[in-house]
Amino acid sequence: MLMNNFNKLKTLAVAMLIPAVSFCQEQATKESSSYFSNVLFLTLLATIIILAVVISAFSSVFKNIADSDYLTTKYNNKKDDQSSTTRNVSSIILLLLSLSMFSQEKVAAIVKVDDGRIGGLDQFTFYFMATIILIELIVLALIIYQFNYLVKTVTAVETTTKATKITESKIMMSLTDAVAIEEEDSIMLDHDYDGIKELDNNLPPWWKYGFYLTIVVAIVYLINYHVIGTGDLQGKEYEKEIAQAKLEVDEFMKTSANNVDENTVKLLTEATDIATGKDLYIVNCVACHGKGGEGTVGPNLTDDYWLHGASIQDLFKTLKYGWVEKGMKAWKEDLSPMQMAQIASFIKTLKGTNPPNPKAPQGDLYTEAGVAPISDSTVVASDSLNIQIKADSLKAAASATVAAKK
Amino acid sequence: MELQKFQYDNKTVKMFAYATILWGLVGMLVGLIAAIQLYLPAANMSLPYTTFGRLRPLHTNAVIFAFVGNGIFMGVYYSLQRLLKARMFSDLLSKIHFWGWQLIIVLAAATLIMGKTTGKEYAELEWPIDILITLVWVVFGWNMFGTIIRRRERHLYVAIWFYIATFVTVAMLHIVNSIEIPVSFWKSYSWYAGVQDALVQWWYGHNAVAFFLTTPYLGLMYYFLPKIAQRPVYSYRLSIIHFWALIFLYIWAGPHHLLYTSVPDWAQSLGVVFSVMLIAPSWGGMINGLLTLRGAWDRVRDNVGLKFLVVAVTAYGMATFEGPMLSLKNVNAVAHYTDWIVAHVHVGALGWNGFMTFGILYWLIPRLFQTKLYSEKLANMHFWIGTLGIVLYAVPMYWAGFMQSSMWKDFTPEGQLKWQFMDTVTKMIPFYIARSVGGALFLVGAILMTYNLIKTIKVGTFLEIEEDQAPALVGEYQSHSKDHWHRWIERKPIQLMIVSLVVVAIGGLIEFVPVFLVKSNIPTIVSVKPYTPLELQGRDIYIREGCYTCHSQMVRPFRSETARYGEYSKAGEFVYDHPFQWGSKRTGPDLAREGGKYPDSWHYNHMLDPTSMSPGSVMPTYPWLLEDQLDANSTIAKIKAMKRLGVPYPEGYENNAIKDMEAQAKEIAANLKKDGIETLPDREIVALISYLQRLGKDIKAEGLKAQK
Repeated sequence: MLMNNFNKLKTLAVAMLIPAVSFCQEQATKESSSYFSNVLFLTLLATIIILAVVISAFSSVFKNIADSDYLTTKYNNKKDDQSSTTRNVSSIILLLLSLSMFSQEKVAAIVKVDDGRIGGLDQFTFYFMATIILIELIVLALIIYQFNYLVKTVTAVETTTKATKITESKIMMSLTDAVAIEEEDSIMLDHDYDGIKELDNNLPPWWKYGFYLTIVVAIVYLINYHVIGTGDLQGKEYEKEIAQAKLEVDEFMKTSANNVDENTVKLLTEATDIATGKDLYIVNCVACHGKGGEGTVGPNLTDDYWLHGASIQDLFKTLKYGWVEKGMKAWKEDLSPMQMAQIASFIKTLKGTNPPNPKAPQGDLYTEAGVAPISDSTVVASDSLNIQIKADSLKAAASATVAAKK
Repeated sequence: MELQKFQYDNKTVKMFAYATILWGLVGMLVGLIAAIQLYLPAANMSLPYTTFGRLRPLHTNAVIFAFVGNGIFMGVYYSLQRLLKARMFSDLLSKIHFWGWQLIIVLAAATLIMGKTTGKEYAELEWPIDILITLVWVVFGWNMFGTIIRRRERHLYVAIWFYIATFVTVAMLHIVNSIEIPVSFWKSYSWYAGVQDALVQWWYGHNAVAFFLTTPYLGLMYYFLPKIAQRPVYSYRLSIIHFWALIFLYIWAGPHHLLYTSVPDWAQSLGVVFSVMLIAPSWGGMINGLLTLRGAWDRVRDNVGLKFLVVAVTAYGMATFEGPMLSLKNVNAVAHYTDWIVAHVHVGALGWNGFMTFGILYWLIPRLFQTKLYSEKLANMHFWIGTLGIVLYAVPMYWAGFMQSSMWKDFTPEGQLKWQFMDTVTKMIPFYIARSVGGALFLVGAILMTYNLIKTIKVGTFLEIEEDQAPALVGEYQSHSKDHWHRWIERKPIQLMIVSLVVVAIGGLIEFVPVFLVKSNIPTIVSVKPYTPLELQGRDIYIREGCYTCHSQMVRPFRSETARYGEYSKAGEFVYDHPFQWGSKRTGPDLAREGGKYPDSWHYNHMLDPTSMSPGSVMPTYPWLLEDQLDANSTIAKIKAMKRLGVPYPEGYENNAIKDMEAQAKEIAANLKKDGIETLPDREIVALISYLQRLGKDIKAEGLKAQK
């Protein structure tokens, strides 16, 4: 019995370790990619492990049925058949696995030259893992076939003998490896604690092997991350994530109209851009600069005085990088370049709108290049795209279109 | 052999049962109010005492230590006597234990709403209460071991192994985690700082779940389930293996609460693998419970108490499978800081602890009062309302957690964060409403039970004197040759306790010692300096108001977090944080790099009315911070305490501290004045602003230097 369990465990461990060994070896030759960040690899590995567990659970259930005394006495010949099948099945697994392990080095040598990758995995690893899955599926199919046959036999035996007394399904009992309720006196311990008695049933096989499995997983995990170091710890993982993101963003920006920065930004004059800028202003800026740009915590945006310049480039730069020590946050992580250009363009339209409760001017007098400073605000207002921003209309106009279309 | 007659002490059991029900109702009600405040911040009635940051610790402490705590003692006092065939060792100790524990609860409730807190989750109580807890716990252990020594049953049943392991482990956890330096009668600083404090705290926090919410309740299950179902326990062998494996493995898993933080990688990995290995030992308890019902499932249909127990054991199985899954780093990266975790703990708390307690009460109270349950129908109604409550609670929270996390991590193709933090908050509100409905249903169920039990008690007569008899234990035990080897330790209670202690001590030692002794685990950052006196005072206000219940201070190394908050947090940044304030939930945004993000006036206005600065915010208002005067005189004692903890303030700095503090406060007040805000520099808000403006700045300065 002990020997038998040991063998099964060995099969399981080998089945699990082979992919581990194979990727470790591969890793040594190709530093570039981590298998554990590859979704395909993880999926395949998970499939292999799950199938291995299912197989081992099934085969132990299978063995239990085959070993049950009931069957032994009634169907002596058949029992021999079944358990030899189990043995055969295990040896098939072992044989196949060791074979593939054996051939691995040769194949690896060939594959190294080939650069064609499947879903980010090199061909060898992919086909190797796929083969294991295939083998596992075949074994599983075999076991299920045998299992069905056995269940039929058992049911047949039951119906012909004492059909009415069976209260529990044989499957359930095999899963738990439990002694039948009618026979539980045989495993009743002689303790009695305030009327509570204890049975001494076997450990449910799936539980026991599940426990072993988690221990194996734990060991493999620690080896992977801390002994041979094939897994990425969080620092490395982070660097890779950032690099990958940069790659994707750069790729996108190449083809995007979004590609503006503080050097290339131009004042936008399209009404839709101004309207979008206004919406973004309402959501993000009102808390500090006021509904009409009159300034509260932040400075007034409607006068001629500016702390950090008022050209469209200056505004864009202020939005993008912020003036953190003065309380202006950097918005580049929250807003796209286009959105910042839209807000900056909208802010340009605020000049001279004279909202109520204006904050006192801060900074230097700013003059638009080539234009003399104009003190008459009405002129400026008509100048700047003919947009009237009043605190009231702003409140009502959360739904975009309004002011810009006037 | 002569039979000895003795009486069981039912009175203490009854009192613990009453306390369980009372504190259960209180704890759940506080939880419901806190849940409502998450979408209706005004439900705090603008009082400091009823604000979320103080109610949340009150809720957790009430349900864990008051409701479940009394539930444990009720079950232990009932089952221990019967399993050992002996009356409790001392009626006086029983009385001290009962009233001592209730005193702790009342003191806890009073101090928590007053804002007296250590700021460490599930260990918020201040040092005088910590000492009181230790004393009462010793009384409990003394009483339990006294009873065990005088037993008339040679071997200890599995339930008692769990009680003993609970006793020693909780004692160890509580003492180690509560080591703190008192500053005044109701204020102390944790002995540990930053990463070390986090590791010790979550070793404690995780194992409070293990050894306060799990092992004692497994013990109760091993007594009450077979007793009610009248079936033998399924497997003695399974009991042995799952008991020892559970208590050994559980201790190691603490760091899974700190994945992707500044805790060293190796400690995180230990947290992961030991959590994975915990699945089977945890499920061992569930299997042994459910399979005990083999052949008795018809009784489950007819017995309402048993129904509760079955759902409890199933909820235990679900929560203990989910736990290890949440400990996988890639799952944790999604779930941590979200409401997913809240759902997870409530499946355990409402399902396992709540339903187990209800099931036991429905069986126990009629027995103690020698009558039948007043209404089976009402109890069945409770069962269904309660189950519905759990589902309505958990499902929206799972959904909300997953959704919020996905929104936090969402980027536009241009590489910008897709959502402002506020967007993710407003999206949560419908789920918070649904959750509070679920919680309310659960509470309604508990109220139905209370009514049902009161009616039962009124009809019955209390069984004050319950007699039993058993032969005394005489002479040495003659072991049988076919005895299981484990029977040896079952007749040696002291050895069982010592071996348990050794088994549970290993994991903690192996994780702590290197973190405390090996320098490379917390690399020094030269630019990180101690807090100024004003910042220290501000930090204590932050702790007092329970800001950590909604805000984390830990930027994890993910693109989505460094983009939103700034450079990810480093272990060396927290070396002066006694206690650490990493938090475990982000109802609001992370604050680790809050310093300098907004002007002082922004914070001032935000504390007065958060919605003025961030429209849609569900943060409560803190008007009292603007009016209350800072207790400046405490500064000297605080600086002294910090120096004793090894924070490198210059020699004699405590004498200059107040001067420095006033100067910094004036600066901030002047700064506020520039933005049109008039405030006296000695108000609490000024100190809080100074702390918030300091957060995460030390390392920013270094980063800037490097750039130039």
